[in-house]
Amino acid sequence: MIRLLPRISSGLLLLAVLAGCQSNDRPATPAAAEAPQHVTDDLGHQLTIPAHPRRIMSLAASMTEMLYAVADTATIVARTQVCDYPRAVLRKRVINSYPLDLEGLVALHPDVVFTTEGITSQDDIARLEKLGVPVYCQRYTKVTDILRGLNDLGRLLGRPAQAQKLTDSLAAELKTLEQRPRPTATRPRVLAITWQDPIYVYGENTLFTDRIRLAGGQNAVTEHFAQPYPALTREYILKLNPDVLIGGSFGKLDSTFFKTYPELKRIKAYQTRRIYGITGDLMERPSPRVAESVRELQGLLRTP
Amino acid sequence: MSRPAAPYILASLGLMLVLVVLGLRIGSFATDYTFIGRTLLQYNPADPAQLALVQLRLPRIVMALLAGGGLAVSGYLMQAMVNNALADPYLLGTASGASLGAILCFSLLSNLTVAGIYLPPLAALAGALVTTLLVVALGSQRGQLIPGQLLLAGVAISSLTAALGGLLSFLSSSEGQLRTVVFWAMGSFERAGWDVLPYPAAALALALFLLIFLQKDLNVLLLGEERAQTLGVHVARTRWILVVVAAALTGCVVALCGPVGFVGLMVPHLTRWLLGVTGKANLLFCALLGADFLLGCDLLARLLYPPAGLPVGLITALFGVPFFVYLLRKKRVAL
Repeated sequence: MIRLLPRISSGLLLLAVLAGCQSNDRPATPAAAEAPQHVTDDLGHQLTIPAHPRRIMSLAASMTEMLYAVADTATIVARTQVCDYPRAVLRKRVINSYPLDLEGLVALHPDVVFTTEGITSQDDIARLEKLGVPVYCQRYTKVTDILRGLNDLGRLLGRPAQAQKLTDSLAAELKTLEQRPRPTATRPRVLAITWQDPIYVYGENTLFTDRIRLAGGQNAVTEHFAQPYPALTREYILKLNPDVLIGGSFGKLDSTFFKTYPELKRIKAYQTRRIYGITGDLMERPSPRVAESVRELQGLLRTP
Repeated sequence: MSRPAAPYILASLGLMLVLVVLGLRIGSFATDYTFIGRTLLQYNPADPAQLALVQLRLPRIVMALLAGGGLAVSGYLMQAMVNNALADPYLLGTASGASLGAILCFSLLSNLTVAGIYLPPLAALAGALVTTLLVVALGSQRGQLIPGQLLLAGVAISSLTAALGGLLSFLSSSEGQLRTVVFWAMGSFERAGWDVLPYPAAALALALFLLIFLQKDLNVLLLGEERAQTLGVHVARTRWILVVVAAALTGCVVALCGPVGFVGLMVPHLTRWLLGVTGKANLLFCALLGADFLLGCDLLARLLYPPAGLPVGLITALFGVPFFVYLLRKKRVAL
């Protein structure tokens, strides 16, 4: 119960922030009367968007969560087929993101479309911009990038105060989590797998590295690979010999992953049964629920 | 028309030895030859580096050798059967059928391991067999295989199964599934283990044993159906034997390693270029050369892109095609 309290309190805080994002604080000045914003996104694209965008949408599930946390939710005109959080988004119209329903999207006349690096192809972005729809893309390599992204969205959407309030509370929560005393002197080395055949893992250059650091552990993959989720061989994993494995419960992985790769039963994580499942959406999405994901990871690392 | 095969066979065995010795050193654990020698003499599975050497590197090497040998022989048989230089082991739709089986598994099943059995290789084998039977049924009339009809049936059914596989991949909601399908379609030996090696080994050994007796008929068949019949070869029966053997070999390899391309097309040509069309040891040499080629490609794949290695099918094409084109330009490759 005690372990649940911080989760409930942060959920309430997020709800409070989301409630504050309702359409009661629109700027009084009409959008057309103010000069448009000339901005550069995280990928270096320059784009022009209205001073106060009235019709926005996202092409990534994580970005939809970001918009729901910062934007006036009435301005969000649609969601994609994969956007499922918060539940209120399910009431929005669906625009397919893969393959991109270009016609459906353009018909909605969005002032700006937000997305995340790696989710929407450069080709789709170029086609949208050719059709007069500006696309703003964000990139996150550290947890702090999520907070910066939220503040950027707040600025672009004319809601900097709401965004700042949210990021301040998230930063404070993350700091508390980071400063919790660790049960062991050394940080456990954690390998997080995303797919079993071939074995894909969270690489060094993913947000997981920062999340697990804040949770008190360290990513077992320290080598830099070109891809964020590199494919590893069994031999490489044997050599890594991680203390903890994330990717499914012990029972589940014992009957699947370790049946397929029995040689890997030798790793420390299997020997000590420190193998855990995790909420996929929390782990995969760079979203305002980042503190929740770090707390979940920390809970696993503290499991005896 | 043919040259003495012994020097070539000895050279290919020597090359195989060199490649195996080199291959034993490539991996994440740093292992020198003293360590490798000690491991092979006194294997201690408690040592993770020794375990990696014996349980991961060695079976991978053996799998590459068997797959190369199997695909090369299979390609040789298919080229002889349809008397066409463009034929390869996947002529019967084996590759696309196996791919469809595997994709069905990846797309529809949430749990790929049931009762301790990893299902994709079995699904791939089933897909390969069903497709092959369909192509053979369409390519035969009154119990006789018609090469031209078989070729067309193979192309048509391959297109159909590839389209079905593409549809399933397209509808897939998971990026992980898509990556698995793409990775699988280009072939890999990473999943090799001692437990599965007996199947391709038995298939290749049986095929070579059986074909030793058929080598003469095979060579005559390569000269054309009419000539073969004039020389007393039972063409219809020989063709059936070739189809069954080639399908079994290809099915086994594809189920375990994915559809590795180009080996089965290029190596038979290289064999005939080196030994002549009617060489008595062509099949044996073809198997050895295919094994060497594929192991060499796998070593390159692992060296170029550690640790997982590039999909071996990419290497066979990237390095095999220029060499093949060189051969074509340098000297007319005999069928």
